[in-house]
Amino acid sequence: MDPSLIFSQFLSGLSMGMMLFLIASGLSLIFGVMNILNFAHATLWLIGAYFCHSFWYLLQDFGFGMWLGIFLAALMLAAVGWLIEVVLIRRVYSRELPEQLLLTYALVLILGDLIKLTWGVDDRLIARPPLVARPVFFFGVPFDSYFIFVIGVGVLVAVGLWWFLQKTKYGHIIRAAVYSREMVGALGIPIPRIYTGVFVLGIFIAGLAGAVQAPVGSITLGMDMAVIIQAFCVVVIGGFGSLLGTFVGAIIVGEVYAFSILFWPQGALVLIFVVTAFILIVRPWGLFGTPMRT
Amino acid sequence: MKLKSTMIVLCVSALLFSVFPPNSGLAADPYHLGVNLAITGTGALYCKDGVDAINLAVKEINAKGGLLGKHEIKVFVRDTQTKPDIAVREAKDLILRDNVRTILGTYSSACAVAMKPIAQEYKVLHIAAISNSESITKDNFSPYTYQVVPNSYMQAKAVVLGVAELAKKKGWKEYVTIASDYEWGRSTQQNTVSLLKQMAPELKLKKEFWPALGETQFTSYITAIMAQKPDFVIGSIASKDNVAWMQQAEAYGFFDKIPYPGSLISVSELILQAKTLTRGLIGLCRAPFFAHLDVPRMVEFVKNFRAAYDRYPSDWAVMEYDAVYALKQGIEKAQSINSDKVKDAMKGLSIDTLRGKLYFREIDNQLSCSSYIGVVADDPKYPFPIYHDVVEVKGPDSWRPEAEIIEARKAEKK
Repeated sequence: MDPSLIFSQFLSGLSMGMMLFLIASGLSLIFGVMNILNFAHATLWLIGAYFCHSFWYLLQDFGFGMWLGIFLAALMLAAVGWLIEVVLIRRVYSRELPEQLLLTYALVLILGDLIKLTWGVDDRLIARPPLVARPVFFFGVPFDSYFIFVIGVGVLVAVGLWWFLQKTKYGHIIRAAVYSREMVGALGIPIPRIYTGVFVLGIFIAGLAGAVQAPVGSITLGMDMAVIIQAFCVVVIGGFGSLLGTFVGAIIVGEVYAFSILFWPQGALVLIFVVTAFILIVRPWGLFGTPMRT
Repeated sequence: MKLKSTMIVLCVSALLFSVFPPNSGLAADPYHLGVNLAITGTGALYCKDGVDAINLAVKEINAKGGLLGKHEIKVFVRDTQTKPDIAVREAKDLILRDNVRTILGTYSSACAVAMKPIAQEYKVLHIAAISNSESITKDNFSPYTYQVVPNSYMQAKAVVLGVAELAKKKGWKEYVTIASDYEWGRSTQQNTVSLLKQMAPELKLKKEFWPALGETQFTSYITAIMAQKPDFVIGSIASKDNVAWMQQAEAYGFFDKIPYPGSLISVSELILQAKTLTRGLIGLCRAPFFAHLDVPRMVEFVKNFRAAYDRYPSDWAVMEYDAVYALKQGIEKAQSINSDKVKDAMKGLSIDTLRGKLYFREIDNQLSCSSYIGVVADDPKYPFPIYHDVVEVKGPDSWRPEAEIIEARKAEKK
């Protein structure tokens, strides 16, 4: 097979991986620090896409409308995330995981109905600006130009998060909280405020991911359900709470999916779950996760 | 005293009027009509129009006194969420709780196939107006199920007739297929491939791609198909999946490189992708209003639909509207709202539809409706592209021969 076509498939897998990384990084961050498995993460991601459409609709006469819409949608969703954390999530920190899951699953249903009430059931479509409406060519192979932006945002978020977690004081506190929240609390650091900040950051990234996804295809109810499963696969493979793990896990899922479509289209989805199940059996804390946690 | 007696007379009159409304003699039973459509999920794009058209038809009929001039229609709408298990649950609920006599459905042939035995068990009419897998009426035949949409075999035949001719002209040799991995996608793809084998045996199927129903990311499929370098691609993808697929394929310049003839591009897609859809594509649709503006009923319907909803009706609106009027005409022939009598009356019945005069074939209750192939192009009359050079492939020219259906049913019994 022509190597340029393999390269093209690799780029497809990479763009899918970056999209998954954007969704899963917030999910992993929230679970890693707060121990909250946010089942509503993908529904919030979907709301980010709807916000993006609304902003684009208002600003579509301007050339920058879509780009500004993406940023504003992420900010709006961060505000929604703050509200959810303050009103609901902080009340279940000390509860068992099943109770937290129940709450976040209830959120999926409530937010789903809110989407219907706010945006209706019609599909939404964003017309991309000419700059990213046509393909670009690498070695003669076409590639959706918008996905260059997607990959760029994915890398930017990965580097930004890495810098924040590794190089800043707040990042050090968050990393410490992953391993021992009691010790962090004992040092006089207000854990609830850290939690709120982490949740808002995680939801901001989810909003960014939803907004970045919006111009890819149509925005429609139910998209979140398909995505949340893949996002869970990513964090299981990479390891909950590990940024590097989420990044690598997302690329693995994206590339496995892309190349199985090329060589074994019938088994594309199955292979992702086979890899996930294998990791769960041999290394339950994921490739880059750690079993240590108090 | 006088005031008091006047008040009593007024109250008694009001009570009598509410119990026995004028023009009704003694009010006849209302006709409970169930609508089991995908208000959410993958099929939502098509089904909203369907519900709106049903409501419009019901409003018109009720304005004239209801069915047989006395049975007011009451509509009960349920959401299948495009999931067969929920479609079954809602169908049962419509029958047992709301006492519906007919269920109009639905999006996703998997939902329609799952609902069919429920309707038969409870002797309730079931009219499929969007989902179009051939197996809805061909296999495990139910006398209670009727289909007013060209089925997957008819659509495949229409595509194959066009593609076989194009292949000869252009010297095409190899093709790949991409179809959503569920009942309709499988059924349409298999029918197309099998008919192509018969009509153009020189064409070779290189590879099949089966994205999951609800797929949002088609990029890997697009590049994988391009890697195959086929002469053309046949697609069987519908609703929001179709929009995502076409949107993403266009961004790859896919349609400029590889011919994509005869895939489903309904009026919904034409409207939704008005700005982005590649002009010159050869598409297939099931009931485009613009192909039948020679039928006065259609002109009237388009006018009324636009007045009511401020948009043009899609194929799905046309077919759901036809389903309501098919039922009405069946009831008029039976002179009864009893579902058993109506299903017998509809057997082989000729009906007036928005698509002209059509009839139900006796062997499978399939309406003799056409499939439409055309070239996507702008039209100054509409704010979206429509089909130009429309080829209408009539139902009787495209449906499966009766002998094959009899054969298939014999094999089923074995």
